[in-house]
Amino acid sequence: MGRLLVLPTSRAGWGLLIAFVALVLAGTWPVIGLVNRATLVMGLPLMVVWSYLVIFACVVVMLIGNRIVERDDHE
Amino acid sequence: MNSLWPLLITLNYVAIAMVIGLRARAGRSMNSLEEWGVAGRSMGPVTLYLLIAAGSVSAYTFMGAPGWAYAKGVAVFYVAIYLSYLALVAWYFGPKVWQFGEQFGHVTQASAISDRYQSPALGALAALVMAIGSIAYAVLQTIGSAYILFVMSGGLIPIWLGVVLVLACIAVYLYASGQRAIGRTNAFQGVLMVVVAWAVGLWAVHSATGGLSFAGVFERIQAEHSEFLTLPGAGGDMSFSFWTTSIIVSMFSFMPPVWTQWMSASSARTIRRSATWLPTYYVVILPMVVVGFIGIFSLPELARADTVVLEYAMQHLPVVLVGLLGAGTLAASMSSSEPFIHSVSLSLSKDVLQPVLKLSDGVTGKLARLLILPIMFLVVAPLAIAEPGSLVMILLVGLGFASQVLPAFIGMFFWPRASRLGVMAGIVVGFLITVALTTLWPHPLGIHAGFWGLMLNLPVFVAVSLMTPATHAEVVERFFRIAAPRGFSRLGQEASQSLT
Repeated sequence: MGRLLVLPTSRAGWGLLIAFVALVLAGTWPVIGLVNRATLVMGLPLMVVWSYLVIFACVVVMLIGNRIVERDDHE
Repeated sequence: MNSLWPLLITLNYVAIAMVIGLRARAGRSMNSLEEWGVAGRSMGPVTLYLLIAAGSVSAYTFMGAPGWAYAKGVAVFYVAIYLSYLALVAWYFGPKVWQFGEQFGHVTQASAISDRYQSPALGALAALVMAIGSIAYAVLQTIGSAYILFVMSGGLIPIWLGVVLVLACIAVYLYASGQRAIGRTNAFQGVLMVVVAWAVGLWAVHSATGGLSFAGVFERIQAEHSEFLTLPGAGGDMSFSFWTTSIIVSMFSFMPPVWTQWMSASSARTIRRSATWLPTYYVVILPMVVVGFIGIFSLPELARADTVVLEYAMQHLPVVLVGLLGAGTLAASMSSSEPFIHSVSLSLSKDVLQPVLKLSDGVTGKLARLLILPIMFLVVAPLAIAEPGSLVMILLVGLGFASQVLPAFIGMFFWPRASRLGVMAGIVVGFLITVALTTLWPHPLGIHAGFWGLMLNLPVFVAVSLMTPATHAEVVERFFRIAAPRGFSRLGQEASQSLT
């Protein structure tokens, strides 16, 4: 069992892992460099709007994750 | 400020918190670690949501974050992002940690480490070093609480008295009701903080611009000080690399109180539901940060950036709101310090004193409750009153260490081959690198010291693990039935297989 690792075992699991990684990439460099501009969107700085988009995207991904976990019936 | 209203409102909040904390016990005996330590694993999704949320929103949100906005600008939002990533961490790991606790009887993080690697020494080491960062954090929050009482009383309550008052209040309900008190008071404090943050933020915006939209504030900042709207910020010190590595290091700092909070849930599903909605709480940061931005043009000569909200409130807001701000800030600092004090006491009793003195579970349960008193009054209080200049350094090193325990968790959740010696070697190397790059050569190339530590820690952990014996197969199997209920994958292969 020397090289065994815990990795997703279904397509939905892999999709969820990719979504988690994408969320982390969205809030860090280099993606954060793309929104690093002194412009306002709806009266708020672009960086602030982007930060809250990432934050609420976390909620959406976890909601989808809950459906997958509960559908597959494993804790 | 001559009115007594702010002080009365703040003290009223303290009294309410005490009553809620004491009533949380509801006639239960608190002498067992299961009850005092993890609330009998009984917390529902709403309480758990507010427990974790209020615990993670410290005095930093009410003082430090607006101070960062005032001094640096939008760089402060890395905090909101990493807090949301911590929710992802809670969503994935929390249910598994809960199952470990429920099935194997763990009540602390160090107990789980000790059990997984069959090494009480490794568990005790983790407990002791995590205690350094935890106590430093509790001290910082206590200083914040005492400062608020000092300001709200117009100097009538000196810092030393504020420290004693706040700790005595926490000690009473923490001793009486343990984790149940933390859950109930954090729920109250969590709601209070949201209400106060938005009330103060909107009132401040109205007084600064005449409207309720944040746009007026940011349009003026854009016109006069646009450097506050981008990285590296007005101070020029928040580079992309520091932003990114700070988020990653903070995300992987599995602090012991969070672990205890997960184990206090009523079920694994409860944790997942609470974690799912946790990021929504971080809208509490926005209005306070906006007050920091208002300070850029309203209070340009401020000596201490982290007093920007208090200064602005005392100059422009009605006394009732100033009092509510005092209560909200005190709530933020108390709700963050009490879980750390509780977890240090719990872990030192369970993971250090019980194995060394060979105590029974019953004696250890009573000891954990009593131990909060010397921790608070012989360690936290003197440090808070002395306000040592190196405290922030201790905290940074402590948090840097927290992320260096990552190999222990990799071996618990992802890699069965991880060995006790591999984890120890990784932690020691990572810790030394983090200490050196925090003190001697701070954050080289603009990369967080803890990140440098992890870069050396992880290869050492893997190499030493492969060269030294793994933990007994039956222990590994016990853990990985929970961590990998559907079996394992070999790198490069799609097929999964079971452990046995």
